[in-house]
Amino acid sequence: MTGQLDDEILVRAAQEGDLDAFEELVRRHQVPVYRVALRMLGVRADAQDAAQETFVRAWRSLPRFRGGSSMSTWLYRIVTRRCLDKLAKRRPTEALDEIEVEDDLDPAQAAEHRERLRAVTHAIATLPPEQRAALVLREFEGLSYQEVAEVLGTSLAAVKGRIHRARLTIIQETSSWQ
Amino acid sequence: MAMTELTRILPCGVRLEDLLLQVADAAPPADEAHQATCPYCQTALRRLRRDWADVTELANQPVSVPRGLTQQIMAHVRSLAAQASDYILLGHPQGESRISHIVIGRVAQRLVSTVPGIVFASVRAEPHTPPQADRVALSIQLVVRFGPALHPLAESVRHRVQRQTPRLTGARIERIDITINDMAV
Repeated sequence: MTGQLDDEILVRAAQEGDLDAFEELVRRHQVPVYRVALRMLGVRADAQDAAQETFVRAWRSLPRFRGGSSMSTWLYRIVTRRCLDKLAKRRPTEALDEIEVEDDLDPAQAAEHRERLRAVTHAIATLPPEQRAALVLREFEGLSYQEVAEVLGTSLAAVKGRIHRARLTIIQETSSWQ
Repeated sequence: MAMTELTRILPCGVRLEDLLLQVADAAPPADEAHQATCPYCQTALRRLRRDWADVTELANQPVSVPRGLTQQIMAHVRSLAAQASDYILLGHPQGESRISHIVIGRVAQRLVSTVPGIVFASVRAEPHTPPQADRVALSIQLVVRFGPALHPLAESVRHRVQRQTPRLTGARIERIDITINDMAV
């Protein structure tokens, strides 16, 4: 029944304390929230924690959500902050999870394919957190530069600079340009 | 940033990092005529496209949400909501029963959802004013289907909630406010 409703209706109901409406919002937005956390943190357990903390924070902050931005932009903002906090506390030696790759290649090709994507994942993990956040939102979530700036609460010029530096690092770390 | 091969300028004068911007953002070339015939640019673009394809491919990999994530989130949220919720008190010589306003709201919400013409219902139970142990006021928000006359529809909702909620929860309903917020066409 709720599948065809706008987020706005569900947000209004959730603000009135409707837990079913909030659960529908969780179902709608949990994939991008978890995906951002996974790409930023590289560890599934940490990403799961970050996603849970994001929605709990969203529930607590819901009375103050005025709809000036979309629900998805608001959730991107919360999850990005949670991830930046976690990265700030993380030990630099923490290992990343192995990447899961869906393909229909033969075993040798699949291994090579997985290795290339793993190299990208590791290159992302070497980025300074602010660059990492901007890159993930742009390349993995498909946000415009302006939307990334809104999520991160910074200027368009700063976002463009961060993404550009992040791209250069990834290409240098993963390719024949070294 | 240290000077690396990527920050260098090609023999034709084009900066490699500008070509990377073109590849990653699928942006048009700064000088299309030059790029169409320049072997340095074309070689560099081929290499950049091949390398950047891995990033694009990682971005396109589906990500599965861990099993049970929704339930885990909602268990936490429901416990927070329960802590903040009011209760009705139903007295009994051998003790008292407390029923959360959240539960009363959910019971009423399910009752409203079965009324023909209702697409979405949200119900909030609030303490009666002045506070009385077993009484609540209900605020109902609706999205309705186009077709039924709205006032009779609202009355059907009020009637069903007024009759069934006390039977199912023990709460006495003092007031029912209904808002029709939207219409699904």
